[in-house]
Amino acid sequence: MKPLSYVQVRTAREAIEAFVAAGESARYIAGGTNLYDLMKLGIEKPAHLIDIADLDGANRIDTDGDRLFFGGAALMADVAEHPVVRDDYPVLAESLSKAASQQLRNMATVGGNLLQRTRCPYFRNGANGAYPCNKREPGSGCAAIGGMDRSQAVLGASAACNAVSPGDWPVALMAMDAAIELQGLDGPRVIPIAELYRPPSRTPHLEFTIGREEIVTGISVPKTAAGRTSTYLKVRDRESYAFALVSAAVALEMDGDRVRQAHVALGGVATVPWRARPAEALLRGETLDRERALEAARAAFAEARAGRHNAFKIELGARTLADAIINAGSKSR
Amino acid sequence: MTPNRNADRPRIDAHEKVLGRALYAADQPFPGLLHAMTVPATIAKGRVLSIDTAAALQVPGVVRVFTHDDFSQIRTTPAARGAYGQPGKGYQPMTAPQVRHRGEPVALVVAETLEAAVEGAEAVTVRYAEDPFSARMDDDLASPEPDAVSPLASGDAEAAFASAVHTIDVEYRHPQQHHNPIELISTTAAFEDGTLRIYEGTQSAAAFAGGLAGMMGMEPQALRGVSPYTGGGFGQKNGVQEQSVLVASAALLLRRPVKLVVPRGQLFHTASYRPHSRHRVRLAADGDGRLLAGIYETVQQNSRYDGFASDHGATPPRMYGYGAWRGRERIVRVDTQTPGHQRAPYEHPASHATECALDELAGALGMDPVALRLANDTQRDPITGKPFSSRHLADCLRRGAALFGWDRRTNQPGALVAENGDRIGLGVACGSYKAAMTPSVTTLRLSAGGQCRIATSGHEMGQGIRSVIAAELIDVLGVDPDKLDIRIGDTGHAPQHLTAGSWGAGSAAPAARAAALKLREELSQLTEAALSDEPVPVQLARTRRPYLEVSVDTVPLGKDRQAIEQLRRGMPVTTGPEYPDFLAFSWIAHFAEVHVEPSTGRVRVRRVVSVADCGRVMNRRTAESQVRGGVVWGIGAALREVAECDPRFGGVLNNDLAEYVVPVNADIGAIDVDFIDEPDSRLNPSGVKGLGEVAMVGAAAAIVNAVHNATGKRIRHLPIRIEDLL
Repeated sequence: MKPLSYVQVRTAREAIEAFVAAGESARYIAGGTNLYDLMKLGIEKPAHLIDIADLDGANRIDTDGDRLFFGGAALMADVAEHPVVRDDYPVLAESLSKAASQQLRNMATVGGNLLQRTRCPYFRNGANGAYPCNKREPGSGCAAIGGMDRSQAVLGASAACNAVSPGDWPVALMAMDAAIELQGLDGPRVIPIAELYRPPSRTPHLEFTIGREEIVTGISVPKTAAGRTSTYLKVRDRESYAFALVSAAVALEMDGDRVRQAHVALGGVATVPWRARPAEALLRGETLDRERALEAARAAFAEARAGRHNAFKIELGARTLADAIINAGSKSR
Repeated sequence: MTPNRNADRPRIDAHEKVLGRALYAADQPFPGLLHAMTVPATIAKGRVLSIDTAAALQVPGVVRVFTHDDFSQIRTTPAARGAYGQPGKGYQPMTAPQVRHRGEPVALVVAETLEAAVEGAEAVTVRYAEDPFSARMDDDLASPEPDAVSPLASGDAEAAFASAVHTIDVEYRHPQQHHNPIELISTTAAFEDGTLRIYEGTQSAAAFAGGLAGMMGMEPQALRGVSPYTGGGFGQKNGVQEQSVLVASAALLLRRPVKLVVPRGQLFHTASYRPHSRHRVRLAADGDGRLLAGIYETVQQNSRYDGFASDHGATPPRMYGYGAWRGRERIVRVDTQTPGHQRAPYEHPASHATECALDELAGALGMDPVALRLANDTQRDPITGKPFSSRHLADCLRRGAALFGWDRRTNQPGALVAENGDRIGLGVACGSYKAAMTPSVTTLRLSAGGQCRIATSGHEMGQGIRSVIAAELIDVLGVDPDKLDIRIGDTGHAPQHLTAGSWGAGSAAPAARAAALKLREELSQLTEAALSDEPVPVQLARTRRPYLEVSVDTVPLGKDRQAIEQLRRGMPVTTGPEYPDFLAFSWIAHFAEVHVEPSTGRVRVRRVVSVADCGRVMNRRTAESQVRGGVVWGIGAALREVAECDPRFGGVLNNDLAEYVVPVNADIGAIDVDFIDEPDSRLNPSGVKGLGEVAMVGAAAAIVNAVHNATGKRIRHLPIRIEDLL
């Protein structure tokens, strides 16, 4: 049997020390809902697991200040059901409650969820070189490009990779300008969520910008009235327990019936959680009707490039985003 | 004694299953059990050049690594896996250094623990020489076989079609699907009382004596097959599996019990599946909607080497009073594992094509689709001219239409709109499935204390066969359901038939009834008086006998005693749909209501009403459950399930339950089920016809027809996905 060490730690400092001491084959574990899956697929082969689910205060949810704060180890289910999140920030609550299943949400943490890896079927099935995959074996090629690419990205793909960023929660956080609190060897730091994700470019195996030993200790979201005028719309192949074909996070700062500022992000269609600035620009100062919403939504996909089987995502994405914009706007009345 | 209508009763084994007490095949504890894991081929076709097992043998706990060198003595017989009774057919992996489909086992690692077996399997290195291949029937190297003209024909269909005023000529496509029973396929080979016992959650415990023993050069009686429970079979567990003989051989060679549970991802490449198929349907009618001709031509994928045939044309010509009929079937051979029987294997794809084509014809005629079906109802089989033993399809349609509120529907697509703007579509389709039977051997013992033990032929795979057997024992003997001991699925207790093709209830109920009636008769002889209405155990107690035991062989209509000998030898013997004096089918009508979101094209199935004619209902609760399950399968087939194959690699990419999309609870609306519940006394003394498969037949077509009624879009392939309706 492959030896596997497992330690539980209480503080981030201890975790980082244990991680560094264990070397290359160390992995942090919290809910384990993604890591165990990746271990079964032969993608992750850790020899040392450092359990950070019970770090002191890491599951704290604090909505008192001028920012919402979610500890890295807060459970997806707990954040989704928090009354302030549920009532004042539906985009956040819905992005969580529409993800995975209740059983998984009871285990998975909001910090770990930021680092969930792609569902690209070639990536997942690529053990022993079964399929070329630049994420699994850098330089081996990409079987998904020119292959069965129905689920692949239409935005942000490179010649080396078109795998979709799978999450819902990161998309909502992207729209809400969240900040990610990290702790590493050199102490704590804070980055905007947009800086967490690397586009695939020529190195699709490098997915995140943070150091291997860095821990997501928390996520904070600036409080905004736009939270109430927000929605997360997710379209998928079944009603529940499925990854998005297309999803849209929309929050609107309204000035009467005019949009002062729109916050728009897309999921299921891009290689990273995708901020749709062109759509935001077209919505600014406008009153909302279906036509204007669709025009803005189409602008979000202006740069989209289809493969063999995923062209529908461009039209579906635009219509879904338009629905989300109208839906969010209807909450301001 | 004429059979009484059955009450709604709890499922016989529900309690032990819910409490987790039911031990499935892979749960059986054996001291010294070894664990096995397969090494799947990573190419789609070619030769194994070398297998390096050194690293695997270094893994602590690994006992042995088997390769084709160890298993070359395994034979292929007409009863071997995949042969379907045909000499020279069938393929058993690991008997030679060849790879005939992606994912087939090329090595078997046996270890003291599952973890060591898995790690050992990952450490085996295999070098291959690859050959060109095609894994899909539309690809270059796929090999079509000559067309087979169906013997089911009547009149001059071509001429009738050519001269008709109203015609439809359409092609429907059905994708490759996988059964995915929740209980994984497993084999445990163990030694008990000096014989080899094979534990598998199978629908055919006798396949081991019949097929596996022959493959291993053993006498059939040297093997005992045990299938304690089957956690869903659906046809995927109807015979010897790719791993069965490998595990049994490993156990014999090591003289220790060995267990292999095949991981879900591998099952997509080793177990059977529903093959891809194309269906061209031509229908002709006169201005009153009378069907003048049907011409039905199908093309179906098969593997390169196995005997699995196509039989899509068997049921459609019997559905309606076609004036003339002609059919044709073609097989296309590709480089995959062999497809197989998956719930309503031919009837579901055939009903998808023909019942949707009928809907198109109704549209062309400007006729209501229910009215079109009623106008072509028939009490005689158009092919043979024989009557049906019972056919209440028109009642199913009329009752279903009333329960469903069909009168809201018009032929105008998109006419009904929900409050939220969704387009509402209503659709109908019908189905049939042959009423088959198979022989049984039964021993029934009733004790004076009321204990009742029955050993008979049949497998419990969740369909509720124990509840069917119980119903007859309760009806005839008045026994207490809590005092029943029903022993099935074990060749050590009784010869076992392959339980499939919806002949389980039609065989087990008459067998249990015959045994119970014989017991009554013997008790009556003993007491020299006719029995009263009191429960039989009470009357037995008065004789002061501790128990009474009877044995009965049940031979289905149209067969003779030889069928019992074939059953004892593990050979499948079935009847139907044609019997000496009639044809027998179960019938069903499905009505579906879908809501389609205009902006995204998302389809939600809000409600399905299904009314079935399955003869006498043996247990209302398990029967309703069967139909709901069949409808859920229909919803999955209509809107979700498809195996994704990349032609450059072969195999199935979406090989897990996250990516192979079946419906979840949130996808299922109301499913209202009703039954005609009229015994078919011509078919068997229990008056029962099958239900498990007919439940699904036509369900997908009803949804597809409803989608057309909502959107005006006629999608002629399954599944209908979001991109089809944008």
